Amino acid sequence: MAVVALDNICKSYGAYSAVRDVNITVADGEFMVLLGPSGCGKSTTLRMIAGLESITSGTLSIDDACMNGVPAKNRDIAMVFQSYALYPHMTVRNNLGFGLKRRQTDRAVVKRRVDEVAASIGLTEYLDRKPHALSGGQRQRVALGRAIVRDPKVFLFDEPLSNLDAALRVSTRAELVRLHRDLSATMIYVTHDQVEAMTMGDRVCIMSDGEVAQIGRPMDVYLNPASTFVAGFLGNPPMNLMPATTDEGGIQTGSGRLAHAGFAPGRKVTFGIRPEDLTSTDDAAQSVISGRVISLEPLGAETLIHVDAGGDKPVIVRGGRIAAAEIDHTIHLSCDPALARFFDPQSGVAIQPGVSQ
Amino acid sequence: MQRTLSPSGLRMAALLMFIAIYTAYSAGPFVWVAMMSLRTTTEISAAPYALPETLHFWKFASAWTESNYDTYFFNSVTIVFSAVAILTIVGGMAAHCFARYRFRFKGLIYLLIFSTIIFPPQVTVIGLFQIMVEYGLYNSRVGLVMVYVAIQMPVTIYILESFFARIPKDLFDAARIDGYSEWAIFWRISLPVALPAISTTIILNTILLWNEFLYAVVLITEDDKRTLPLGVLRFLGDQLEDVGMIATGLMIAIVPVVLIYVFFSERLIQGMTAGAVK
Repeated sequence: MAVVALDNICKSYGAYSAVRDVNITVADGEFMVLLGPSGCGKSTTLRMIAGLESITSGTLSIDDACMNGVPAKNRDIAMVFQSYALYPHMTVRNNLGFGLKRRQTDRAVVKRRVDEVAASIGLTEYLDRKPHALSGGQRQRVALGRAIVRDPKVFLFDEPLSNLDAALRVSTRAELVRLHRDLSATMIYVTHDQVEAMTMGDRVCIMSDGEVAQIGRPMDVYLNPASTFVAGFLGNPPMNLMPATTDEGGIQTGSGRLAHAGFAPGRKVTFGIRPEDLTSTDDAAQSVISGRVISLEPLGAETLIHVDAGGDKPVIVRGGRIAAAEIDHTIHLSCDPALARFFDPQSGVAIQPGVSQ
Repeated sequence: MQRTLSPSGLRMAALLMFIAIYTAYSAGPFVWVAMMSLRTTTEISAAPYALPETLHFWKFASAWTESNYDTYFFNSVTIVFSAVAILTIVGGMAAHCFARYRFRFKGLIYLLIFSTIIFPPQVTVIGLFQIMVEYGLYNSRVGLVMVYVAIQMPVTIYILESFFARIPKDLFDAARIDGYSEWAIFWRISLPVALPAISTTIILNTILLWNEFLYAVVLITEDDKRTLPLGVLRFLGDQLEDVGMIATGLMIAIVPVVLIYVFFSERLIQGMTAGAVK
């Protein structure tokens, strides 16, 4: 049980700055997900928390104790690696007990603890096997068990599910959520998979280019992205973003108009709307976006409709199982003004109508 | 009924023929020496390629006790075992550092170590002789061990370094988080995981040093400090060559190497790293 606080954490490799001014506080027992594209600095941040990378500047504390110079072994943390990092020359039992033995734990206690953890994650019958004799999912569970067995203050996960196949990933995801509920431990989880972030995290910290782009509860971040980066990264398909100009009581999208109070006329904004928030309408005068249907992607439960509305990218609409659209036909789309989001075209930062920017 | 060989059968037959010829070519001299080791020089002179009519096992006892082979064997075992042990441990540590750590002048140090192997031993042996005399290491088993360690160290580091570099970094990070020091990580992770490479270097160094002749003949002249390859010289005189005893001496020298190869090569190399990472 621990509070992890990162205060203006920076990491540089020579002139290259990998992480800049990261401020995150992970509450006791919270499941925090660091989410972002490859190279955004999320794994480096996690490795700094683990003590595997030095901190260039800033302060890392666990339970108010500064950890900057404390070696990894003294931080009372456990980490699950993407590659599992199981010791290939040791049996599952020895892999699980390796960390406890180092801490001069009594042999009987090590055995009892290893047996308990193995039973809790279904590894009892594999205790005498070596990693090469296990499947990917079993190896993943050994890696998880190795972290649990030490009962650490903080659990760190570095993309632990990315080597699993799709079905196993779903079940292991649920297992991790159950584990978090059972242990009530502080967990920090790095992933580039937004489904994992949305389904597992109490809060999500989205990182971009070495900086924190937004922190919040998954649905809050999804519904109210703080920037065009977050709007474009989160969601599959992502939020539709297009240039627009404000007029008296609304915005002009180029192919339609959205009535929306709060904007002074003549201002350029980036208009954003989620694919599922657009609906087709027969009334062209009411349409926010109009355009030609250029392709349909039937996904089974839904159909993605790609619409050429004159912008650089097509507008994507999430339609029903059987889409009421045909290729090369014109479609008129409307939306609830409350679901529309606006961003500054230069900085990409979210703006709220009526609030002076 | 006429039977014909299929193309794959023909290929297999050709392959078996090639293997048989190659085996005869490489094992022939060994078998010949083995046969001669059990025959007397007189018998060999009469019919060099004949099979032994009587197996003269007493020749081994004679070489061992009367021709000082027990001393040569003990010297070889002591010198080679010491040199290989030092090479494995020190070379392993050096390779671990080269593979895992970034430090200043790493490239330069690596280059310096490797630059020593470009000189043929004949070039350096005179200088080495002088140095050994200066430091009182001439005619000393310790001196020969030091020379053996020095000449084999670059290759040992090279083999082990390339293997250590392939061990996933996550394994070391996991061990660090598990609470192990760098020293403990070397002994408990690097060395066991690298056992295939370690066994390769042990086999390679043992065979090369067991058979080493040039440095031994230059740096050791006292009979009680000679190694086995020098012991064979004892039967080579200006007037007489005791071919039968040379063969017996060679067999005493060869058999340990063959045994080491048989025991080490198969068992240690398989399956150690599979499953470490996905």
